[in-house]
Amino acid sequence: MDNHQSSSHPDTRRQLQMARSMCWHCQSEVTGEYFCDRCVKVQPVSKETDYFTCLGFPRRLMLDPQKLEAKFYELSRTFHPDFYQTKSADEQTISLSNAAVLNTAYRTLRAPIQRAEYLLALETGSVKDIRTSPPADLFEEILELQDTLEEYRASDRDSDQGHRLRSTLQTEQEALERRKHEMEAQLQQLFADWDKLQDAGEATSLARVERDRILKQMRDLLSNRTYVNNIVNDLAATIA
Amino acid sequence: MAYSDKVVDHFNNPRNMGSFKKDDADVGTGMVGAPECGDVMKLQIKVQNDTIVDAKFKTFGCGSAIASSSLATEWLKGKTIEEAQKIKNTDIVQELNLPPVKIHCSVLAEDAIKAALADYQKKTDGQPTGTK
Repeated sequence: MDNHQSSSHPDTRRQLQMARSMCWHCQSEVTGEYFCDRCVKVQPVSKETDYFTCLGFPRRLMLDPQKLEAKFYELSRTFHPDFYQTKSADEQTISLSNAAVLNTAYRTLRAPIQRAEYLLALETGSVKDIRTSPPADLFEEILELQDTLEEYRASDRDSDQGHRLRSTLQTEQEALERRKHEMEAQLQQLFADWDKLQDAGEATSLARVERDRILKQMRDLLSNRTYVNNIVNDLAATIA
Repeated sequence: MAYSDKVVDHFNNPRNMGSFKKDDADVGTGMVGAPECGDVMKLQIKVQNDTIVDAKFKTFGCGSAIASSSLATEWLKGKTIEEAQKIKNTDIVQELNLPPVKIHCSVLAEDAIKAALADYQKKTDGQPTGTK
């Protein structure tokens, strides 16, 4: 019984994998990236394919923007509707939906912050799973600033009070922008840590602890950065 | 998607905006945030003899988040701690007619209520309830 169980497992897995990479047209196995080797038909991007895989990159956070862009352009040409005008309706549909996925993938991975948010979601399932304790001090600060902002909005901009509030808000904005940059520098360090850990590819318990540390700190920093970013934008828009 | 009349009403005339001293023994403070959108919400309750006699909030976020927390403070007043525990985000969604994309605002409000209650209970822990 035990024997049977253990021998059947890898088999099932291989079958599943094969089923997923079977050509929709000629049913032969697809080994290439986006085309069937046998009938040369375009293959749809599977729903389970993450954006990193879609663009042919490993799950790293310090991707070379030029290489990413080059790959995006290459695949954009590959799926361009112009090349499918004489093809079947199926192929036209596939290439069009591939192009859409590709666009979203590139837009997500292009910006380092969004890329990290996306990786977190992939690695932790749902981002909410590692929802952190809210930074009470930062929240107090944001809400207090909000009061000052309200006061400024209600004040006569040309009065002494208006000038005073404006310069207070300006100082706050500069301080928050500095903090945002500090957070981004810390994030950069975590990105490097993550890539290093992935490159090492160890499956030790120590590596797992390190992985959790990086993801947790990244989650915290990304959240706090969002809060700070929002209030900075609000400040900028109000005193502009 | 347009905001419902109730959301607009709460947004234009927020009830119970403000704050209590968070170190007061009869005050419970809940501070929560939604990292996805950057909304921040502070909700406070003032409790006497196991009953919430007053509630205040401050929210930095969209109209739905402000309306959700404003409504929450309205509902909290006069409720016992036990009754307050039962307020669900779905009640808020229904009352304010929130669209699916704004449901997380009601979740934030429920989290804020829970956090405020927990904070108050932590303060009074070990003391018989109803002490002055």
